[in-house]
Amino acid sequence: MPDFSLTPEQESLRDLARKFARTEMAPHAQECDRTPRFPEEIYRKAYDLGLMNLNVPTEFGGSGLSLLDQCLIVEELAYGCAGMTTSIIANCLALEPIILGGSSEQKQRFLTPFCQEYHLASFALTEPTGGSDAGAIRTRARKDGDGYVLDGEKCFITNAPHASLYAVFATTDPAAKHRGISAFVVPRSAPGVTPGKDEEKMGHRASSTSTVRFDGVRVPAADRLGAEGEGFSVAMRTLDQTRTPIGALATGIAQAALDHAARYALKRQSFGKPIAEHQAIQIKLANMAQSVHAARLLTWHAAWTIDRGAKGSLESSIAKCFASDASFQVADEAIQTFGGYGYMKEYPVEKLLRDAKLTQIYEGANEIQRTVIARELLRGYA
Amino acid sequence: MSPGALVVVETHGGRVAASSLEAAGVAARLADPAGGVTAVATDAAPEVVATLGGVGVAKLFSLADARLAAAPVAALAAGVLAAAERSGADTIVLGGTAFGRDLAGRLAARWNAAVATGVTEVHRTASGLEVKRPVFGGRATETRRLDGPRAVLTIRPHAFTAPSGAPTPPTVETLASPEVPAAVLAPRRVAVEATATGTGPSLGDAAIVVSGGRGVRTPENFRLVEELAAALGAAVGASRAVTDAGWRPTSFQVGQTGKSVSPQLYVAVGISGAIQHLVGMVSSRTIVAINSDASAPIFKVADYGIVGDLFQIVPALTAEVRRARAH
Amino acid sequence: MEIVVCIKPVPEAETRLRPTADGTRADPDGVKFVLAGYDESSVEQALLLKEAVPASKVHAVAVGPAPRSEEVLRAAIALGCDSATWVDATADTADDGLSAARALAPALAGLPHDLVLAGKQAGDRESGVFAAALGELLGVPDFGFVTDLRWEPAAARFTFRRATEGGVERWESPVPCVIALQQAWNDPRTAKLPMILKSRKAPIAKVAAAPAAGPSIPVKFELPPPRSGAKMIEYKTPEEAAQTLVRLLKEEAKVFP
Repeated sequence: MPDFSLTPEQESLRDLARKFARTEMAPHAQECDRTPRFPEEIYRKAYDLGLMNLNVPTEFGGSGLSLLDQCLIVEELAYGCAGMTTSIIANCLALEPIILGGSSEQKQRFLTPFCQEYHLASFALTEPTGGSDAGAIRTRARKDGDGYVLDGEKCFITNAPHASLYAVFATTDPAAKHRGISAFVVPRSAPGVTPGKDEEKMGHRASSTSTVRFDGVRVPAADRLGAEGEGFSVAMRTLDQTRTPIGALATGIAQAALDHAARYALKRQSFGKPIAEHQAIQIKLANMAQSVHAARLLTWHAAWTIDRGAKGSLESSIAKCFASDASFQVADEAIQTFGGYGYMKEYPVEKLLRDAKLTQIYEGANEIQRTVIARELLRGYA
Repeated sequence: MSPGALVVVETHGGRVAASSLEAAGVAARLADPAGGVTAVATDAAPEVVATLGGVGVAKLFSLADARLAAAPVAALAAGVLAAAERSGADTIVLGGTAFGRDLAGRLAARWNAAVATGVTEVHRTASGLEVKRPVFGGRATETRRLDGPRAVLTIRPHAFTAPSGAPTPPTVETLASPEVPAAVLAPRRVAVEATATGTGPSLGDAAIVVSGGRGVRTPENFRLVEELAAALGAAVGASRAVTDAGWRPTSFQVGQTGKSVSPQLYVAVGISGAIQHLVGMVSSRTIVAINSDASAPIFKVADYGIVGDLFQIVPALTAEVRRARAH
Repeated sequence: MEIVVCIKPVPEAETRLRPTADGTRADPDGVKFVLAGYDESSVEQALLLKEAVPASKVHAVAVGPAPRSEEVLRAAIALGCDSATWVDATADTADDGLSAARALAPALAGLPHDLVLAGKQAGDRESGVFAAALGELLGVPDFGFVTDLRWEPAAARFTFRRATEGGVERWESPVPCVIALQQAWNDPRTAKLPMILKSRKAPIAKVAAAPAAGPSIPVKFELPPPRSGAKMIEYKTPEEAAQTLVRLLKEEAKVFP
């Protein structure tokens, strides 16, 4: 029989994240969203408490948390501010290719510094001409002596202007499509690396997103992760790991929306009673609660599946896709519950809708998730 | 022997603390008339004796011992228990002060007695005393039965009134210096500084408290709160936001990590009412809140609320209080 | 310096209190017990002293039932306490400060302690008698309502202040002594994630408390009737608001001085 109870250790981790989200993140969420501002002091505090680099194994100084533990933390952080959470967990995404594809020497060299002091890293896969179609990468890596020279441009790269390290995916052989892709670790300090300026975004505005240009950037072969041509596999396995926490992030947004809506419904009066006593609002709240609950359980299940050593592509795609859609719907219903006030920036729920939207798009758009789900599903019938 | 009750008298500069007079009122209720109310004090100056006579104390044990003057409260325990044995009291009553609290635990452990602090109601039953007291920062109350032959109580400030009657001077008996372990006499009080709660009554003692919060905006503006307190004869308190910001010392802080107060009247000025603050004042008898935000949680616990600009309301209120009290 | 810090698990601040079915106590069912309030401050104080005085150790102790006692001890270890002892006792024993001190005192006899720290009171029953009772049982002086605690290594003594009704007292005390802290004049730290993980594996010494029937018996636990909310004063001018309020305080509440 499955056991849905958390261990005392998991409860402590969740409590830590909850306290941090509510006391350090939430009070600044609105200001960072409006200005917008990249609150690096909050990210440093998150780092100091051990809330960054959750996936780094203990032998390199990390916490080596299970995916389920990571999800518990990410949901709580996202409850405080989804944008900040995106920046906080960007390191997990950027370091995962090293964890999965790096040699032990590379892991020692690249991961250890992240567990000794605060650094940000970015995952540089997406390009202006292709997001979900990762096989169509145009950034070139040309063999040059005992290393490579990188040329190209990445876009929508989280934390790029602030990162000290990039995990970059480039092709050594465009004709070979995804089999030509290799993964490289490139320091920000390498000549020819140029992050662009912050993009103006709809949501997740406390996070920073920009392009990164690579112009004749020399990368030693020792900084290539895995063999030449293994990059696509590293990228896909990375996303298999990090997709589930996006489900947790979306769940955190949805829970925040539900909490705001329920509290408001108990307070706001219409026709002589709190609107929570009107059936129209009760139905909304009940539906929202079902969505939040289902999103959380699907996320936990996906994390549990992967923690047991399974690939979990189907489960993680279902979790990410369902939770992000649920998050958007729940935020939408929260605004509707607030009525006109919900549309006002003075109230917290419109931000949740803007934040939820991104969870349907990034780390594999929901269209791709459905493609994966259908493929895995149909395999069972063929 | 008929059970009597002993009051431990706290004096400051030759004056009996108000809390000890309240304690005398409780002792009078609990004592069998034959047992009577007795008291013990380290200061048996004529003024102290006269004051105690006015609240029904029949006998005063004087514990005038030079060694105790700057010693820890703990050093008094032996002398107080000697007085209790001499008087035949089965109950010791103390005021709801720092002095009373610290001594109560000592006495209970030493005397093998049941103990209850911050008591708001007390009566005798067949099996012992039954007491009622607020718990969880005033969010609930508990009733307890203190079984056994002896009990030590401290009473909540303002929960009981001091008795008044024709003053009969108590007889005074001087106790021999008690044996106190050297370890307990080793620490020394080296100075007493003026209370950092301004010129009014101290926070724990005051019948009225006026507190200011973040809404006051600057340390200079805090004088608006102090002026209202002065007009009401109140002690000044503050929320944690104010003491954290360093506008006033932490000794002003009312709340979970500061002082718990339960005055007759509590006026919250520019305080939103975080749970941290509420637990320190919610058991006040009457609560007034002045805040610009109508949805502030403080209004949920307040009896009277004024939504508005405190910079206009408070000066007007100060003026009105002065006018009303002058009449 | 050997520092012992006494902590008590209390319901977290947001807990909705309710009586047990028999109406005698606060119902612990479904309640989350945490290290909170004064105890957080005293752990912080212990850790500050440990950082200031070389070769110091902080030992956390709790009296009460499982699992809440073990949980707060692990929380204290996660914050930086070096070791922990759990005195296994009933909630009723833990709830009566005198009984808790009696349960703990024998365990402390076997632990080196220059300083025993406690909070002024626990956040639930708020008795505030534990530290003084413990001082009596250990035969050492105790001080309540303490702030600004400092160690003077040259004189081998503590200095501190006590906020009392008679003024703010300044004290000097040699060791050993028991000190109950008035309030958070420090800013309690937050446990870091790696320390939380480490604390889960830390050994906790378990001591059985001698069974002691407390002389203080819970009879009834009651919640006050819900406050109906403030009577909001309507006004056109600040002066009118002031006049209305003063009239209500005089005539209705009868608390005007």
